[in-house]
Amino acid sequence: MPYSFPLGPYHPALEEPFKVKVQCRGEVIDSATVEVGFSFRGIELLAQKRNWVEVITLIERVCGICSNTHAMTFCMAAETIAGIEVPKRAAHIRTIIAELERLHSHLLWAGVGAEDIGFHSLFMEVFTLRELVMDTLEAISGNRVNYGMNCIGGVLRDIPDPKRYLPALDTLSKGLAEIVIPTFTENPTALARTRGVGRLTREQAVEWAVVGPVARASGLDIDVRKDQPYLSYADLGFESVVRPEGDVLARVVVRALEMVESIRLIREALQSLPAGPLRATQGLPEIPAGEATIRTEAPRGEAFYYVASEGGATPARVKIRTPSFVNIPAIEAMVVGQPLADLSIIQASVDPCISCTDR
Amino acid sequence: MTADRNPRRLADALQAIPGVSTVVERNGALWVDAPLLEVEAMAAAMAELGIRLGTVTAIPHAEDAESTVIYHYIDEHRVINVKTCTRNGALASLAPTVRAASWAEREIRDLFAVEFPGHPNPVPLIRPEGIDTATLRAAMCRPAEVARKPASPLASPLAAKPARS
Repeated sequence: MPYSFPLGPYHPALEEPFKVKVQCRGEVIDSATVEVGFSFRGIELLAQKRNWVEVITLIERVCGICSNTHAMTFCMAAETIAGIEVPKRAAHIRTIIAELERLHSHLLWAGVGAEDIGFHSLFMEVFTLRELVMDTLEAISGNRVNYGMNCIGGVLRDIPDPKRYLPALDTLSKGLAEIVIPTFTENPTALARTRGVGRLTREQAVEWAVVGPVARASGLDIDVRKDQPYLSYADLGFESVVRPEGDVLARVVVRALEMVESIRLIREALQSLPAGPLRATQGLPEIPAGEATIRTEAPRGEAFYYVASEGGATPARVKIRTPSFVNIPAIEAMVVGQPLADLSIIQASVDPCISCTDR
Repeated sequence: MTADRNPRRLADALQAIPGVSTVVERNGALWVDAPLLEVEAMAAAMAELGIRLGTVTAIPHAEDAESTVIYHYIDEHRVINVKTCTRNGALASLAPTVRAASWAEREIRDLFAVEFPGHPNPVPLIRPEGIDTATLRAAMCRPAEVARKPASPLASPLAAKPARS
């Protein structure tokens, strides 16, 4: 007899509130409905009540994981309206922070994913590696969550001794190559819970318009860093990671190999950090009337900002579309025909960020 | 995902959408002005071009005035912003044919009371059940200005010290 099962909003798998209501027949899921909106904060409205500098601090709090992405994307939109070109050194530093953020986000996901499949020892290994990234971010910015690195026109802090961080990257590379990647891709326990589970075909990925690692794990070769390069990605070169399978394992592999690419990007950016100023402007920025749309590749996929200015002290409109806003609905397609016991890892495989989604 | 990369052909295809008046390149994106846009025709044209819908932005102007609505399309190499406005507070829903429009339209209805007739599932997305639509409309229609900060007696050394009891 069919029955309904609510997972959330207080979640056994994630520490953020969202709800997946599934209709089951026996142990198999027939259909699912995702509900969000439990942590709505009205950030887009608040952004119209702050000046251009205060908004950066506000926007950085859209997400507790990809905080830098949001502040950086907002600054890029304001810079585009004002015609400000960011100095090369600042672009390199932004790239380094963005890729460190991707590393810590993907490692966070890997740890949560390991926990979701009951693999606690793998969780501990992953989080030990993640601490290296957090320590590096803290050493550069002074913070572990909201780094406060971005300002309109450049960055607020320098990286005076870039070679100091190279040994941590070596340790990370070794840990990924010897522990994390082999465990997720070869261990029978991990494979049994991920291979062939929660499949999203390429056609479904197009239909649901998913982005980021979810799209690339379904065979869509889209990545803003490659398709519309920004910051220093064109200088550093970039190769996207794509898998055709569309299952949870493919999403794991895409994120794992992206971490390897992130480490390469950070290493090259640190080694080739150009000399020069950190900011193109000084003092309070004046943003003329205008509007701009900016895309960046956040850890979860494409972050999209529309920013409008009327030439005043505050933005006239800030629209934020986070990657999770388009990826989360696709859970409804992934879970159909899957065992109820796999619901947790399937929805976690999207790496949903709920405070991003609700804003 | 098979979008035509030729900017001239793309601009011509956009200009042919019923209701489009101008197509210009500005700030690294294409901006399409279409006050009387036929949104279903736009959706069909974009599907034909292989261009995905990124999201939809609504800009309310006054409590009972029409709202600006911008459809942000992405061809992976550039953003195409199609700007139109509501008619009697509504625009036809794209959700029956474009899945990515579903949540965007539900959110806009919740926050700004723009209606999307034809939406297959017009239930609240952001606002709780039982709360009226237009959660942010009145507040967002006010002129953009820096909000007065809440004053704390601890914030200024000149603030009066509480009397000792």
